Amino acid sequence: MNEILNLGLITAIIRVSTPLVFAALGGLLTFKAGILNIAMDGFMLVAAFLGILTAYFTGNLAWAVFAAVLGSVIMAILFGYFNLKFKADIFIAGIAVGMLASGLTAVLLQGALGQTGVFASSKIPRFSQIQIPFIDGIPILSQLFSGYSILVYLAFLFTPVVSLAMSRTKWGLRVRAVGENPDSAASVGIDVFKIKMETVILSGFFCGLGGAYLSLDYVSLFSRDMTADRGLIALAAIFFAQGNPVTTIAVTVLFGIAQALAVRLQQSVGIAPQIVQVIPYFVTMIALIAVGFQTVHHRKYQQVIE
Amino acid sequence: MVNSVEMRGIVKKFGTLAANNNVDFSAGKGEVHALVGENGAGKTTLMNILYGVIAPDEGSIQIDDRKVHIGNPAVAIGLGIGMVHQHFKLVPSLSVAENIVLGSEPGSRGFFDRLAAMRQVAELADRFALAIDPMATVQDLPVGLQQRVEILKMLYREAKILILDEPTAVLTPQETEELFRTVRNLTSDGKTVIFITHKLNEVMKVSDRVSVMRAGRMVATLNTSEISAAQLAEKMVGRSVLFQVQKQPSEPKEVLLEVKDLRVMSNRGLEAVRGVSLQVRAGEIVGLAGVQGNGQDELVEVLAGLRRSTAGDVLLRGSSSKDFNPRQVREAGVAYIPSDRIKVGLSLDAAIWENMLLGYHATREFNRGGLLDVGKATSFARELISRFDIRGAQVGAPVKSLSGGNQQKVVLAREFSHGRRVIIADQPSRGVDIGAIEFIHKQLVAMRDRGCGVFLISADLDEIFSLSDRILVIFHGEIMGELAARDATVEEVGRLMAGVNRRGGDVIG
Amino acid sequence: MARSRAQLSDIGESRVAWAGHLRHLAMGILKPSAAVGLALLIGAGVIWAMGEDPIFAYQTLFNGAFKGAGNFVATLQYTTPLLFTGLAVSFAFRAGVANIGVEGQMLFGALAAGIVGYTISAPHFLHVALAMIAAAVAGAVWAFIPAILRARLGVNELVVCLMLNPIALLLTGYFSSYPLKAPGPTNKTYDILASAQLQQFTNSAQLNTGFILALVLLAVFWVIENRTGKGYEWKLVGQNPLFARYGGIGVQKSIIGAFLVSGMVAGLAGAEQVLGVYRAFYNGFSPGYGFDGIAVAMLAKNSPIGVAFAALLLGALNSGGIVMQMMTSVTRDLVKMLEAVIILLLAADFAITSFKARRKVAKAGTAGKSIGGGQA
Repeated sequence: MNEILNLGLITAIIRVSTPLVFAALGGLLTFKAGILNIAMDGFMLVAAFLGILTAYFTGNLAWAVFAAVLGSVIMAILFGYFNLKFKADIFIAGIAVGMLASGLTAVLLQGALGQTGVFASSKIPRFSQIQIPFIDGIPILSQLFSGYSILVYLAFLFTPVVSLAMSRTKWGLRVRAVGENPDSAASVGIDVFKIKMETVILSGFFCGLGGAYLSLDYVSLFSRDMTADRGLIALAAIFFAQGNPVTTIAVTVLFGIAQALAVRLQQSVGIAPQIVQVIPYFVTMIALIAVGFQTVHHRKYQQVIE
Repeated sequence: MVNSVEMRGIVKKFGTLAANNNVDFSAGKGEVHALVGENGAGKTTLMNILYGVIAPDEGSIQIDDRKVHIGNPAVAIGLGIGMVHQHFKLVPSLSVAENIVLGSEPGSRGFFDRLAAMRQVAELADRFALAIDPMATVQDLPVGLQQRVEILKMLYREAKILILDEPTAVLTPQETEELFRTVRNLTSDGKTVIFITHKLNEVMKVSDRVSVMRAGRMVATLNTSEISAAQLAEKMVGRSVLFQVQKQPSEPKEVLLEVKDLRVMSNRGLEAVRGVSLQVRAGEIVGLAGVQGNGQDELVEVLAGLRRSTAGDVLLRGSSSKDFNPRQVREAGVAYIPSDRIKVGLSLDAAIWENMLLGYHATREFNRGGLLDVGKATSFARELISRFDIRGAQVGAPVKSLSGGNQQKVVLAREFSHGRRVIIADQPSRGVDIGAIEFIHKQLVAMRDRGCGVFLISADLDEIFSLSDRILVIFHGEIMGELAARDATVEEVGRLMAGVNRRGGDVIG
Repeated sequence: MARSRAQLSDIGESRVAWAGHLRHLAMGILKPSAAVGLALLIGAGVIWAMGEDPIFAYQTLFNGAFKGAGNFVATLQYTTPLLFTGLAVSFAFRAGVANIGVEGQMLFGALAAGIVGYTISAPHFLHVALAMIAAAVAGAVWAFIPAILRARLGVNELVVCLMLNPIALLLTGYFSSYPLKAPGPTNKTYDILASAQLQQFTNSAQLNTGFILALVLLAVFWVIENRTGKGYEWKLVGQNPLFARYGGIGVQKSIIGAFLVSGMVAGLAGAEQVLGVYRAFYNGFSPGYGFDGIAVAMLAKNSPIGVAFAALLLGALNSGGIVMQMMTSVTRDLVKMLEAVIILLLAADFAITSFKARRKVAKAGTAGKSIGGGQA
């Protein structure tokens, strides 16, 4: 049992959860604005690729993260424009942006780095591990909470920021109004397109950090389609938490625990990884069905026949 | 009296249809001005122009004697105009205070000061005696209080002119009374209230002046104290006979359609049809007159199998058709011309022959073992096109290629074929040109003469009078009276439509 | 007299109608062609940025797709699964059902075909037929989940499909990696028996009789969509559900039915791959044929004839892309990118937006009037 449950597991959970948390933060903002952002995997993938590419050529991690975020934001603007301005169906646009990211990064992987599947290099610098001053030296605490890269801390620091922005700022209030009843927001002079676009761009920003973390820190390489549906899983967490920021992050970490456990359980007990990986989607299906029952209950006067 | 709103020569055209045709309108400071008219009379268009939602083609607007250009609602809000729409523009999960301040929230450096919002809303509610809990979530409030939130939203933006679009449509009688009190409070505070409605007793009760619109024109503006509800009804529905359909006196035979004590709920869960009984016999046209929104829609939907009744029965040729679905209704020989041909009566993208086939596509005539006899269906459609004189129709072309009148003829052609006996015609000539109206009316009379029972629902008194053999009047979900068409007068029908019964007593609605 | 007038106007009308048909047809071809053209142009930009010659790259792609019998056979092989998935998606879209879960339905169909392919023994035709039926049923069962959730609970089928696709991938992956895994290093089920195999036409490529089946299926669906009562109902529900309900068509039933039929076709896509190409269920065999089906359906404007051409186009790009990858440094992933651009462009409304916005305002005006009547 000890090989499964130990301090290393907590560290693994934190590292596994980080990209999910970034994606969930981005997805939350768009979700609140009434946009179902299924393109986040595409944003992250582009970010992951540009992060590695830039790090490889410049050797500078700051530039790498910047490039990653920029690429992700550009994808987000593309997605936002096609959906919000050109009225493309959000699912079709989302799927297309995902395909575009997957194809483009694979083509450029060969074109710019000469690899077909995976690219790794010793020229890519690594993030330094941050030691937290106060708990440094305290045995268990420092092992648990010290020594991650800046991106890990950013993910968890942004969580309360996003939560507060939603609940305590004028902008957050407007985002919620736009998401729930755009007509109402427009009738009091709020620019609905602008607010929605802002959330899409911010989701690009967070996915950019998530993608940079994935390639530059989590594995320090780029491989094709390496986001492995993390954007979708984050979306599933948001659905399950019905958009509550704190619950969403909690569910995200739960999914992270499941993933971290999956690796260990597979190694020691032999449980199939697929069974654990399927949990987020399965849980979301149950949440969807539950919400469906609720709405049907509310619709008793709308006499729909057949 | 000082005019706070003055609109001059407003023209707005949608395609060839003039929704507002050289309309003048003015409302004075501190008055309640009722704006009445049938659906499509142009009153909502006029108010949307005032609120900056729609740009007029011609005309000028003055607010407090200053000429203004209102390009969008934000400008209107800035000028002190507020509009409470019939469908509330609220965010359900936010609190009362958040809804009210949304868009101009208190607070500094981007932060939203929730406490200040609550305090301001509480003060505002106090000042106008509109009691409300600023912390309550809007979705938990009853409709009357939600409307109060909308009004407070306008007052928070310091609106001087409030437009209320059919504000009582969703209210209970008690809530309506409260709203009237609020309106009085507001005007005594110097605000102008424009009250859009078609409930005439409300006009009589709450307004100082009333403007009547009909078919895009302003018909009259009067002091409320100088006119009766019945006169108002007459002005609203007009009487401008353009042509008279030639028809023989009817010879009613057996009862084809019978409605017994029918009760139906509206989508909002209110009782819309309250114990209606009626009969339609073979060889007669029964007209149902009434101001729109008095339960006609719900009644017709039950007859067509599109809605369930809560009590009572519908008999087709003596046997119950309660809870029939649309297919069963059709098979029982009922033809139904829905009031909205674009949303319900047709599929605009489908070919003309496909639209004409609906309802028969599963019959032996056109369907053999699941395979459609397209040749037969198109030649059938061709035959209907020439019989109903549908101009410019090519069987394979989509219905949207036709004009409104010819589209309606497609509906008629489909519904009048195959020997149906009962015809339910809901606003059959709405939005079509005069030539098509005449054609449709002739067809309805021809069907009557062939032994069909025709149930005609119309808000247009011209149509009711020129076609019906018997006239029923519906008000507030109840049949107010029945008249033989040859002795009926417009005045009498108008009185019944306004909810005033024969003895002259006022019915509270 | 009246008759001759009618005849005269008939001639005039038919002339007008023909012009209308031609214009309609031209527009129907123009927009997809423009999207494909623009996508190729953007692709050329990417190729050029990589320091390759776009014209040469496209030339090798084109030759790789069509030059010589071998290449053309390979193109048809890549076209085959897209015929199935494109048909599945386009049929659903036409019936007003947004089935983007074709990928998952195909995976379950493939697994079912694979299992029937090795667990039972039967004469050739019967065995193939049973495997196909199993695949169709499996696809339909997986499609039933979003269907029933939409029809009964009003749950958005797109979200459900979005979740069901990875679930299908993981579950079929589990079965082929654990309980049903054949011995060996690869995660796959046992090879199907010879009696369940679809005949391959050549030794060099895996084009098989499944291709013929796909063409037959397209013809059958053309008949279903245009010449049957059911097809008529599906079309009308897709165009205007209120109208369909008013005409006595059971809308919910129609939606469920369309989902099931679409799922069956998706299941057959999986069967063709397993029985004809791979001869076993391999974990993760699909590069996303179900998603390609969306592009095919959008290019095809939801008609079976259109599906044939659109699938051939994407099949050729895929097959030619492999040759291009061998000859240049441009990988076949470029095709995926082109596909994405095509979908995006076709899903969008460009020049029409301003016109539409104007019409919307006009509509809001008239709608406002009808709202004026309201419900009591």
